[in-house]
Amino acid sequence: MPDQALRQRAPLEALARPGRFGATSAAAGVMLSEIRDRGLASVAARKNQRAALLAAAKSAFGCGLPTRPRRAFGRDGLSFVWAGPDQWVAMLDHGPVGGIEPRLAASLKGLASVVDQSDGRAVVRIGGARARAALAKGMPIDLHERAFTPGDAALTFFSHINVHIWQVDETPTYEIAVPRSFVGSFWHWLTEASAEFGYEATGSNSSA
Amino acid sequence: MVDAASNKPARAAAEFAPVRQTAAAPSAASPYRLATGGIVDRSAPLLFSFDGRNYGGLRGDTLASALLANGVRLVGRSFKYHRPRGILAAGSEEPNALVELREGARREPNTRATVAELYEGLAAVSQNRWPSLWFDCMAVNSLFSPIIGAGFYYKTFMWPASFWEKLYEPMIRRAAGLGRAAGMPDPDTYEKAFAHCDVLVIGSGPAGLMAALAAGRAGARVILCDEDFEFGGRLLAECRDIDGRPCAQWAGSLLAELASLPEVRMLKRTTVFGAYDHGVYAAIERVADHLATPSPHMPRQRVWNIVAKRTVLAAGAIERPLVFGNNDRPGVMLGGAVRAYLNRFAVKPGTRAVVFANNDDAVATLLDLAAAGISVQACVDPRGADAGVVRAAAQRIGTRFVNGAVVRARGGHRLRAVDVSAVAEPWHKLTFPCDLLAMSGGWSPSVHLSSHLGGRPQWSDALAAFVPGPLPRGMSVAGAAAGEFGLAACLAGGAKAGAEAAGDCGFAAKPVAMPGIGPEPIGIAALWRVRAKRGKAFVDFQNDVTVSDIELAEREGFRAVEHLKRYTTLGMATDQGKTANVNGLAIMAELTEKTIPATGATRFRPPYTPVAIGALAGHHRRKDFKPTRLTPGHAWAQEQGAVFMETGLWLRAQYFPQPGDNSWLDACNREVTATRNAVGVCDVSTLGKIDLQGTDAGLFLDRLYANAMSSLPVGRARYGLMLREDGFVLDDGTVSRLAEDHFFVTTTTANAARVMQHMDFCHQVLWPDLDVQFVSVSDQWAQYSLAGPKAREVLQKLVDGQHDISNTAFPYMAAGEVTVGGGVPARLFRISFSGELAYEISVPARFGDAVIRAVVAAGAPLGIRPYGLEALSVMRIEKGHVGGAEINGQTTARDLGLERMVSSKKDFIGRVMAGRPALLAPDRPAFVGFKSVGDGAIGAGAHFLPVGAEPSARNDEGHVTSVAYSPTLGHLVGLGLLKGGSKRLGEKMRAYDPLRGRDTLIEVCSPVFYDPEGARLRA
Repeated sequence: MPDQALRQRAPLEALARPGRFGATSAAAGVMLSEIRDRGLASVAARKNQRAALLAAAKSAFGCGLPTRPRRAFGRDGLSFVWAGPDQWVAMLDHGPVGGIEPRLAASLKGLASVVDQSDGRAVVRIGGARARAALAKGMPIDLHERAFTPGDAALTFFSHINVHIWQVDETPTYEIAVPRSFVGSFWHWLTEASAEFGYEATGSNSSA
Repeated sequence: MVDAASNKPARAAAEFAPVRQTAAAPSAASPYRLATGGIVDRSAPLLFSFDGRNYGGLRGDTLASALLANGVRLVGRSFKYHRPRGILAAGSEEPNALVELREGARREPNTRATVAELYEGLAAVSQNRWPSLWFDCMAVNSLFSPIIGAGFYYKTFMWPASFWEKLYEPMIRRAAGLGRAAGMPDPDTYEKAFAHCDVLVIGSGPAGLMAALAAGRAGARVILCDEDFEFGGRLLAECRDIDGRPCAQWAGSLLAELASLPEVRMLKRTTVFGAYDHGVYAAIERVADHLATPSPHMPRQRVWNIVAKRTVLAAGAIERPLVFGNNDRPGVMLGGAVRAYLNRFAVKPGTRAVVFANNDDAVATLLDLAAAGISVQACVDPRGADAGVVRAAAQRIGTRFVNGAVVRARGGHRLRAVDVSAVAEPWHKLTFPCDLLAMSGGWSPSVHLSSHLGGRPQWSDALAAFVPGPLPRGMSVAGAAAGEFGLAACLAGGAKAGAEAAGDCGFAAKPVAMPGIGPEPIGIAALWRVRAKRGKAFVDFQNDVTVSDIELAEREGFRAVEHLKRYTTLGMATDQGKTANVNGLAIMAELTEKTIPATGATRFRPPYTPVAIGALAGHHRRKDFKPTRLTPGHAWAQEQGAVFMETGLWLRAQYFPQPGDNSWLDACNREVTATRNAVGVCDVSTLGKIDLQGTDAGLFLDRLYANAMSSLPVGRARYGLMLREDGFVLDDGTVSRLAEDHFFVTTTTANAARVMQHMDFCHQVLWPDLDVQFVSVSDQWAQYSLAGPKAREVLQKLVDGQHDISNTAFPYMAAGEVTVGGGVPARLFRISFSGELAYEISVPARFGDAVIRAVVAAGAPLGIRPYGLEALSVMRIEKGHVGGAEINGQTTARDLGLERMVSSKKDFIGRVMAGRPALLAPDRPAFVGFKSVGDGAIGAGAHFLPVGAEPSARNDEGHVTSVAYSPTLGHLVGLGLLKGGSKRLGEKMRAYDPLRGRDTLIEVCSPVFYDPEGARLRA
């Protein structure tokens, strides 16, 4: 075995250089960061187990699984985002490598199929006064506060790249999950879209 | 400028200067600039150049108004006859005043001077003239006009046919071109953006402003777009009072209120150019066209996709020219444009004027000209008693009123006089010296967007105009665009439409108080052409289409409006006939003695005004045309100097060159040899990876694959073949069973999305009763193939000690979970594509970079080499495995020699259709190998021909699918599809390749060239 431990690399590690970029005429309109310590897993209900799954999740994690495009929060940093009929993305703040799948699988055995996706998605956080304006340059959905509020989620695209977006707070702040192999192109697009407003990139952000 | 916050109007209401002029002297700098009035900023002088000469203008000018302020009347040459042309209009409908704007890579041909916002240093040159605008040699074309009328190139350049492309077309294009493109890469950036609203208001004239205000006050999300760089539309160009205030001032206070409403977004310099299904509108925002160069990070233009629940089209109307002899002379201008130059730009477009109109619009023109101190020589109106208000206005300013028509304009480079024929004495010609003719043939509502989805405009005899017909869902039309002519009607119609639109979106609107406005006459009597015209009478100025051309089209049978358009080019090019179409089709109606509704109008299509292709592309150009996918090991491969190739969206290492290599083949041979003799490693992360779970997962896979999968034991992998519904092969890959109800499937890189889609369809539509869940994990795992006799030795250094991966414990086609590097979860599959002892190892993508480095470090003492797609391909050809060239959508399992894999014990997709008689025909091309027995190269695509047979399709017996040089065997190895297939082993054939001029003797053999017993992969 090699002498040193295998080093982990975050999807945007080499790309998301911290600093202030784009227009500098005013305060940065867009804040960008990567969330690197969150565990993700796909959860899909087994056949005819939907009701039992919802009940089991409620008792095990303290939250119902959303049945429309929303994010629900459970105990201990767990949350669930709707990802299609009878499908969710489970998220665990500060999730250790490989930590989320066994935790869910134990409680949901026979009720749901659980697949670790912690490495399959990059999660980018975008906030700031001009975040909506920047996202409007690539995303076709309406993010206006009357149409999309904290906790709302959507499966959509950003400049030809499939993404999963949910709103975190009213600042507004959003999180966007992007397939890992696309994250370079995604970051390129997002920073191009944000440059007009000036953006501040911080390398990583804590998931909570 | 994407949200409302940054779109405050440039001025508050009070800053609008009063508009009404009293006789004012021209300023010294610009001889035709009025001393006061207008909404130009006299404290902001701007320098600009036209045809190399410097002039002064003001902020707020267009290039056209600034040229007029300097007395420049001649601005271009016409398309075909190279006639001198001036400025006809004051808006986007301008057909004449097209210039090349900017220089170098930013040069932009066919820019309408009437909408080009003046900026410091603007440089424009005239087009379509040589050697100069004043003296244009090509004006000789005018003399040939009898032979270059409508359709002349269809008739004249018929023979010989080969001359068309080489000689005639280039010649015509040179003579009858407009501007020149830059011919260099555009240095600016363009972008696209989405916007959503309750109510989209198109146009900010009186109707649009009221609509936006009514909807905005109700709380609806409103987007107000105007193509102009100032909001206000005709309110900026007219000299009217609203509530006792000049109308531009009144507009200013409305704009200030709109800007204060948080949900109202105001986009100026933004043309809504297309209406599409489901309330989607496309608009182009000229973000930086008014700047010499865009600021850093500022796009030049932005295309908006606006999704609107409701839309109010308040695009106004376009004035029609009158059709008489030489009506294209510089100085002949639309009446509404004359008023715009006077009232908005404080520019006198002439010094002595004649007014010629068939409608009451002439009243305002007469009064505004007089107020600006321009002497009006005559007012000509073909109407008799109906022209009472015009006659009265003429009297009021002391101008002679003539009941008649202008028959001819005189002058060359600028208008000198007009000849008038009076109704009372048609034999007696009157001549009035003048340098400005303000004409009006009536106004055509801008119905374009109402018609983009197919609704035909309807003719109104009362208005002598087309008004919108059936409307796109969610659209209403207000103001002049709806045929509601007159200021009061526009304001009321706009307010009503805005309130209704907001109401439809759930916002109750209170009635907007109607301001006080004086009465306004709008009478008209149609006059499509002056029959007594002398000289060329232009209908379409931009395309040089005259009345004679329409008469010719009628004589030659091109009478339908769409034929008329194609035959004469009436209504084509950059202005799409905005000023020409109605006159043209009305003249055709007269000639054919049909009504205008029976004649019909040509179809309106997007875009309303020209849109640069660059803007439609946005950022999607060059490498950004589509996204690029990178594997977790990409950075490492880059450090190794890998040459990458695109496979779908992925970049994959093709080979790893080293100093001293003569070509890619040296690298490829080295990589193959290292793998065959020691060990090689290849990044296979791009394979599609799907995780399947559920009690019916095995059954689901049985139905998807031609071979059985439910019988696969836990901890084993199997090669799988998937057919399409029609029995042809869809994809191949591997299936591994990780637990009783848990499978892991790989697909080829190319078909990853297709297989996932196929599975989704099968589960959701065909077998929703099955308990199976699956999800793509392609991005979750980094996957590497280790191949070669020393592969296990390398792997043993990486895999944690508690996992026994000896040949006994982990034999060929084993699959299981292991850990590497001290506890990192991994999956190991003993799968071989190369024919060697080989493994594929998967690790979570975050470890992908570290693991490839660790593999290479561990393998270095054993001679490990990374290998790319070229070596991968050579080894699979040596081993006789089918690849993308063989699984080409036209081959069955039987064709590929894989019929042994096809289960006869179960049903699966493609089973029935694969049994069709033609697919079982014995002479179907089937999979074979071949060796070269001649000398000469062979390429994929070469056809198999019997030796001595004539090269013809009849003698064709199949083709070469894959071919490579085998460094292992020292000769070419090839795969192909040959009639009769393996029955023909040992036969000599020709590989005939007429495209590359090759014809080589080959011998048919087994496709498995290397280790046919498979001893190596079980080692």
